[in-house]
Amino acid sequence: MSRQLNILVVDDDAANAESLAELFQMDNHKVIVAYDGRQAVEAFSLNQVDIGFFDVMMPNMNGVDSFIEIKDKFPEARVYFMTGYSADDLIDKAVKGGALGVFSKPVDLGKVLATVEAEAA
Amino acid sequence: MENPKYNRLRDPDVLLSILDNLPTSIFVKDENLRFVYSNELHCQMIGKPEEALIGKCDSDFYRGEEAEGFLANDRAVIEGGQTNISEEMASQESGMTMPVLTRKARLKAPDGNTYLIGTNADLTEIKKRENQYRALTATVPVGVLQIEEGGGISFSNPLFNVYCGGDGSGEEGSHLVKQLAEAHPGFPGVACKFEGNVQVMGAEPRAMLVMSSGWLHLGGEKRSAIVSIIDVSEMTELRRINEEVSRLNKELAANMKKLAEAQDELVKKGRMEQLGQLTATVAHELRNPLGAVRTSSFLLDRKLRGKDLGIEGQLDRINKGIVRCDNIITQLLDFSRTRQLACQPEDLDGWLAGVMEEMAKGLPHAVSINVLLGLDGTMVPFDPARLQRAIVNLVANASEAMVGQGDDPSKFACASPSISVTTRRVGEEVCIEVKDNGPGMSAEVIARIREPLFTTKSFGTGLGVPAVEQIVTQHGGRLQIDAEPGNGAAFILWLPLTAVDDGSQDDAKVA
Repeated sequence: MSRQLNILVVDDDAANAESLAELFQMDNHKVIVAYDGRQAVEAFSLNQVDIGFFDVMMPNMNGVDSFIEIKDKFPEARVYFMTGYSADDLIDKAVKGGALGVFSKPVDLGKVLATVEAEAA
Repeated sequence: MENPKYNRLRDPDVLLSILDNLPTSIFVKDENLRFVYSNELHCQMIGKPEEALIGKCDSDFYRGEEAEGFLANDRAVIEGGQTNISEEMASQESGMTMPVLTRKARLKAPDGNTYLIGTNADLTEIKKRENQYRALTATVPVGVLQIEEGGGISFSNPLFNVYCGGDGSGEEGSHLVKQLAEAHPGFPGVACKFEGNVQVMGAEPRAMLVMSSGWLHLGGEKRSAIVSIIDVSEMTELRRINEEVSRLNKELAANMKKLAEAQDELVKKGRMEQLGQLTATVAHELRNPLGAVRTSSFLLDRKLRGKDLGIEGQLDRINKGIVRCDNIITQLLDFSRTRQLACQPEDLDGWLAGVMEEMAKGLPHAVSINVLLGLDGTMVPFDPARLQRAIVNLVANASEAMVGQGDDPSKFACASPSISVTTRRVGEEVCIEVKDNGPGMSAEVIARIREPLFTTKSFGTGLGVPAVEQIVTQHGGRLQIDAEPGNGAAFILWLPLTAVDDGSQDDAKVA
């Protein structure tokens, strides 16, 4: 039996964020939703986050800068990115900063769920 | 022979009358050079009646020096027997002089005496004409000379004298003629026209255009050649300048063309960059809701599966719609992407083998794939992500052309659909050929297939081939298309072995 995870979903597109949240909840995980990079940093500070799924381009603070700041405070942070279009420089920066992987939007949910399952195992 | 016709000529009066009426002046002198006969015309020329001449010498009519000259000539004829022909200026009693051509010959007469027979032809008219011709040659902007077969120069006009820097008939003239003869074999005896450099005394070499008539008979026994020379050094310089101007003009025209092309290219590039920005934004904006739709459909599927609601078909259509939208966005991005390539030299064959292995999994089972790699490990600079998009587009097009979506064999365009992917090296280029055995293409389709938005498919975007061309062009290569109706189609990507700077810009930063 896999354990329950605290998953942070970060996306300025609410429909995306919430539908993904619901999907994870269906598998009995706890989900926190953030709508920009700044909120994501706060969410990491206030919660024990096991795994994060971050959009890249967002208002206030983009996903990559947010991740870098989080990684600075929480070196153990485990984060995947989801991108609608390859902003290669930012993605490079994220991967170099320790991001675990990148999913192209619209994300292949089979692969996302498999990833979560592996984290929970 | 007794011919009665000549009987009358035996009459001295008739004979003398004939002699008096000849248009030639005739005189006869005895051994002592005294006149024994003068016809009417001779009397007129001398200006004295015959009675005043008979028994007299030239010294009786001409001044000392002139008379001495005539007498010396006469003696040479009488004593030496040589015929003498000379041009003389004959003075008349009136004080006028006239040019005459005098011919003197010795005659051993039947009476046993020796005589000198002389004739004078009036050269006034001829001299007048000669002077006219000479005056004419003095006015033409051409150097003119007459060269005798023996090598002497019998005439030169003033301009020739200028050209040779001195006396045209003398040493300077001969020096110039010698240079011309060295410049052109056969000169002056062979009719010719040539350009040669002539070192005029004390001056820089000058280019001369030379023409010779070749040897001609101009009346005398010996032949002569008429030669004209023109200083063309200025013309040659002008011609050189003209050619230079013409060359520069052509260069200018070519540069203008290049500039116009570069401007067109910049405008096109500017448009492409705009399109790239727009597409990036639109792609981002579409993929977010598309993600939400996909996730929601996934959730619905999970919540309702097994409840026997009969919604599997609808969910399947939603998912296929999402995939199709995503593919269109991908193609738009492929076409409008102007971001700089990330080229690294790589074993193209090895890379392509991997790409094809992965691609083969996603193709309809009916389509067989043959990969023939002929580069033998050749390292080629290319951007793997971009080139993969080109290969994916071409293989997908080939597959769709033969079997459509691959699910209905009755609609297949050929019995045994197959795609061959071949690589080979030709000179400093390598090519990747994607060939199918499908329905091929008409000339009209081939002519338009590179145009954005042109498609023959009901579900196509018309951006696949333009994107492939865009990618290969960015690599410094080109796209070749060989196809004909009913005979399959081949799309050949030519890539240079040396990397090029494609000069493209970074894309918009959207994700």
